[in-house]
Amino acid sequence: MRTGGGWEEVEFNSREPVYLQVVRHFKEMIVAGKLEAGQVIPSRRELGTLLKINPNTAQRSYKEMEERKLIVTEGNSPSRITQDDAVLRAIRAELLGEAVDAFVSAVRKVDVPVEELLDLVKSKYIEALSSSPADDAVEGGAERP
Amino acid sequence: MRNYLKLLHMEIHRFRYILFALMGMTALVQMCAIAFNAMGEINERNVYFEQTGRAPEEFFAAMSYTRAVQETQFWFAVPVGLSIAVLVIYAFLIWYRDWFGRSTFAYRLLSLPSERRNIYFAKLTAILTFVFVLIGFQLLLMPIGRAIFAMIAPAHQLQPSYIADAIFANQAFKILLPRSFAEFFVNYGLGVISLLVLFASILLERSYRWLGIVYGLAYAGFCALLMVYPMLALGLDYSTGYFYTEEAYAIQMAIDALIVVSSVWLGLYLLKKKVSV
Amino acid sequence: MIELKGVRKRYRGRYVLNGLSFTADKGNITCLIGMNGAGKSTVMKAIMGLVPVKEGQILVDGKPRGRWIYEKISFVPDHLTMPLSMKMSEGLTFMADFYASWNAERAAELMRFFRLEPSEKIGNLSKGTAAKYNLVLGLAPNSDYVLMDEPFSGIDLFSREMIADVFSSELIEERGVLLTTHEIGEVEHLIDKAVILQDGKAEMEFDCETMRSEEGKSIVDVMREVYSR
Repeated sequence: MRTGGGWEEVEFNSREPVYLQVVRHFKEMIVAGKLEAGQVIPSRRELGTLLKINPNTAQRSYKEMEERKLIVTEGNSPSRITQDDAVLRAIRAELLGEAVDAFVSAVRKVDVPVEELLDLVKSKYIEALSSSPADDAVEGGAERP
Repeated sequence: MRNYLKLLHMEIHRFRYILFALMGMTALVQMCAIAFNAMGEINERNVYFEQTGRAPEEFFAAMSYTRAVQETQFWFAVPVGLSIAVLVIYAFLIWYRDWFGRSTFAYRLLSLPSERRNIYFAKLTAILTFVFVLIGFQLLLMPIGRAIFAMIAPAHQLQPSYIADAIFANQAFKILLPRSFAEFFVNYGLGVISLLVLFASILLERSYRWLGIVYGLAYAGFCALLMVYPMLALGLDYSTGYFYTEEAYAIQMAIDALIVVSSVWLGLYLLKKKVSV
Repeated sequence: MIELKGVRKRYRGRYVLNGLSFTADKGNITCLIGMNGAGKSTVMKAIMGLVPVKEGQILVDGKPRGRWIYEKISFVPDHLTMPLSMKMSEGLTFMADFYASWNAERAAELMRFFRLEPSEKIGNLSKGTAAKYNLVLGLAPNSDYVLMDEPFSGIDLFSREMIADVFSSELIEERGVLLTTHEIGEVEHLIDKAVILQDGKAEMEFDCETMRSEEGKSIVDVMREVYSR
């Protein structure tokens, strides 16, 4: 089980329920590849300590994730990220969708033809990827640290 | 009971250095006083011998420890007076030290699972313990002083002394180390009653602050008046009074008992219900 | 559950607490919020019986408070409350002597966690170290509730972080915590329930996550609203 590597970097904003922010963080980690399907996740208690949140909040986020089928708990074994592809794809789609929605609504104000926009996005994206090689999703392949 | 003893132990333990210092100082001052007195006396006799060539025994009475104690009264009284002053001050401080200062131990004491009255009795008996330790130590010093005196004085010039006589030779000891139990009871009884009234007054202050000082003084004053009333109103020497002597004594005792009971009750009540950090 | 009902307390002529009612549940972290002099410390002291209360009820698990709560509720005050001449280890022994609920193993573990040297005299401790020691004294017993009065006040940043970690750890799991603090920022995302004191009353009492999800407001937002009324 990996400790560190994304667990302590969470900054919580005070206007959104913390437990939902935790769930969101999990989703981001899954999509970014920091959490793999079927991977064991920290227990409720450990999560509280790692993220520096109230144990009740950790509990709540767990419950939420179990309900959304993000995580699976079998009996007394530690909880794991779901291996259900449908769920994983849905998460990916959700986060991507949100990011794209945000982008689209921001860029709508600028009058630009779609091709130009897509080219710009592509070049910017490649630029961003190559300037942070430590990130998981390195261009070309899945090089998981 | 165990909690009371633990608290008592703690109270005594906190004061041990001061207690030892008082004892040490008393021993040092008094024994040195005796020693110097003895040496001074010997010196006088030598001087006489040198000047007159005659045996000192012809002129001087035999050296006596009792007389030495009598002559060194002042020096004996100094550490005793100091000890009394320290104990009186500590009768206040034993409470106030837990409230004032960088650390308020009162928070801890008042939230212990044991009965609060254990705190009260621990502090009370601690003071009494200090008093009796010092008394006992003083008594112990008397024969030690006699031994020191005997060591310094030449044997043929030494007259034996009874400890009881030696004690009696000191004016302060007449009161503090009385001969009869009845006197002891009366003298120290008065001290204990005063202590109880003091504790009640302190707790009044700790419960009501500024107003508490007023209440405390009023209570103390009232008790004091009540104590002396029998003597004043009913005739100081009982011979001119309305009551028989025994009856007057009984009335005095009853009043004293009343003050004791009310002071203890008041102290315990305030500590349990009204005291504040 | 610790419950206050209509509590009134007078201090120097004015009513510091004037009909205060709120609850702090076991298993939750409840935070009392208020301006200076609002009476937060007084509430703690009242629950602990360190000050008498004029009117109202203070109930613990449904029963009126009394001497029996001292094994169930621990108090972490904002200043030293042990004799300065004692060593920290002697202070622990003192607690062990009087409290049946004292857990010596946890105490030792906490001393290690906070990196405290048991043989040091309490009088020689810095403010941060003293605060940590107070936490040891308050968290070591097997109490159901822990009251903390300004646990972050005047403490250096790193000690504060250590203390904040306590709130996420198993040390407070299943216990009821009631704390007061000025440093809302340190605990904003750690507390379950907030009670905002004003004029001696609970002006607002709310679950923080609910406030966030239903109204999108942080605790500080609510505070601003209350104090600008």
